[in-house]
Amino acid sequence: MRDRALRLHPQVAIRAEPFGALAYHYGNRRLVFLKHRDLVDVIEQLNDHRTPADAFAACGIDERRWATFERALESLLRSEMLEDAATLADAPA
Amino acid sequence: MTDTAIEPAATAEPVIEADDERAADEAHDQDVLDDELLVEEISIDGMCGVY
Repeated sequence: MRDRALRLHPQVAIRAEPFGALAYHYGNRRLVFLKHRDLVDVIEQLNDHRTPADAFAACGIDERRWATFERALESLLRSEMLEDAATLADAPA
Repeated sequence: MTDTAIEPAATAEPVIEADDERAADEAHDQDVLDDELLVEEISIDGMCGVY
């Protein structure tokens, strides 16, 4: 997971909240609470980093928490809030 | 008739310090545990006009 290129789905909007953020997918109409500001920071960094591990490090996430963050990213993948960035990169021009 | 002095209870400071350390450890553990709840999907089916 941590070596998999991910990005926020283009149909997802994130709204900052005191507890973290709300993420809404305009395509599948799913609403997700991002319950920690650190996770929001990581998601915002995904586009600027090759892998989630790079984003974790860039956001200063304690390595003891990486497994928890990976599970959160997997959950967001299942709800299609995140997608594989490689899917777009490999698409023919 | 003599008054019997009541001995003050043994000082509990060492116990309090141990409790503080334990509380700090528990708070740290709780921070880690709280990370388990990073994502929560909410069902808004039927909630017209929410978004």
